[in-house]
Amino acid sequence: MSVSYKEQKPHAVLPQTNHDELSRQHFVRSFKEHIVDALHPGLKLAYEKRGKPKFVAQHRREPATIQEVGEAMKPDQHYQAWSSLLRTSQEMMWSSAQIPVERAINQGAALVPDQALLGSLTLDPTLKIPSYHTAVDIHCQPGGYHTEYVENDVAQGAIYDRAVYIYAMGQMGLYNADMGDSTVAWLKQSHPDFNPGRILDMGCSVGHSTLPYSNGYPTAEVHAIDVAAPMLRYAHTRASSMGNAVHFSQQNAECTQFEAGSFDLVVSHILLHETSSAAIKNVINECYRLLKPGGWMLHVETPPYEGMEPFDTFIFDWDSENNNEPFWRKSHQLDLEALAEGAGFTHKPLQIMVPSAFQETQRSNTFQGGDFGGGGVWFVYGCQK
Amino acid sequence: MTDPGSGEKIALQRKAKGKRPYYFSNPDVDKLLSMVMALTGELAVARDRIDTLERVASAKGLFSSDDIEAFELDEEALEARAERHKTMLREVNRIIVGEIEDLQNAGEEDYSSVVDQVENDD
Repeated sequence: MSVSYKEQKPHAVLPQTNHDELSRQHFVRSFKEHIVDALHPGLKLAYEKRGKPKFVAQHRREPATIQEVGEAMKPDQHYQAWSSLLRTSQEMMWSSAQIPVERAINQGAALVPDQALLGSLTLDPTLKIPSYHTAVDIHCQPGGYHTEYVENDVAQGAIYDRAVYIYAMGQMGLYNADMGDSTVAWLKQSHPDFNPGRILDMGCSVGHSTLPYSNGYPTAEVHAIDVAAPMLRYAHTRASSMGNAVHFSQQNAECTQFEAGSFDLVVSHILLHETSSAAIKNVINECYRLLKPGGWMLHVETPPYEGMEPFDTFIFDWDSENNNEPFWRKSHQLDLEALAEGAGFTHKPLQIMVPSAFQETQRSNTFQGGDFGGGGVWFVYGCQK
Repeated sequence: MTDPGSGEKIALQRKAKGKRPYYFSNPDVDKLLSMVMALTGELAVARDRIDTLERVASAKGLFSSDDIEAFELDEEALEARAERHKTMLREVNRIIVGEIEDLQNAGEEDYSSVVDQVENDD
């Protein structure tokens, strides 16, 4: 038997787990793999054999929209069981990541080591957490990104770092760095002469996608912003523990304090789908303002719905109604050319699929509900100023 | 926010804000499924612990999983286990076993009639 099980690479700030806590997390990962491998294939069968024929009999045509596939699928018992289990796996994932953190807090154990810090951390307690973060807890993390339980809290960051790894079933690399790694690899290959001196990562959370830029462009001054203080505190220690000097600050990507024309590269990773119609425009406008002429904005996301089969769209859209991702659907249906043009960009924006830099696991090359990291490709939306 | 030195236990928020969707026509089925999966998870954790125990024992030269496979239970051990299984099954199925007792007590009165009786026996 070949051994291919890849566990998250421990680093100095990753929460400590005892035997049973770790085992509980491993079970959730197995549970998620089981849903993807054993249950997911039944959805298409249920659709072809039950849901679609019923719909066709009633409407004399095939379902054409997310809503119509939903009408065919939501009463189906396999879809119901799959959804119920997928939602449960998500809840168990967060719980399994919370348990060791909650224990550590109550035992008075330091969640982050006392160590020399590199780069900087600037928090702004007056920053308003945007309503698209407070209305519901995004992707069902209890407390969202921003909730704080104790002074100088890092709990939400510590929980997130571990949960992302379990969520992606290891397919985002040993440090969850695949989105950044893949984008840097693409940039270096397609634009070998582009050597950004100043880089900004928007909505950086724990900085797992930020560090690839710091590693890939070691002479660059790298900044990373987020609205959530617990994420930034954790990100700062995490980056420092890995030897990366990144300047973290608590800012909203819609309207930052940075000077106009002060960055060569502005990036984000799965940020856009967690905003809103108004906010996404503000973010793209802000990218344009921050970039120097010739600079690039690059946003890593999952692919837009356009051109997808209605059934695939419905499944891929599952998160918008079922995993507290209220802007997921709309964000995948936007006119991205108009968005860039509206911000002032004059070049035609990029909308490309970038291959994953982390090739060690088998990839499906398609995105599906509950298998976010499994596509083996990332969608990159970008534009040069 | 709480001061960790205050001795007050800190409980993280455990339910994500946002209405939880249910999928089956009866939401109790979703709830039961969620409980079954949590129990399956705890069973997996317990099995992992046994697995670790065997591996540590083997690494320290105490015994190996082969010793466990080869171990023959005597009748006393088998009986003790069967007894434990029986207790466990009665506990798990307590509600169903209880219903049988009700059926056996053919004269079981309606609960409200008992309330009526104790309220009005003066």
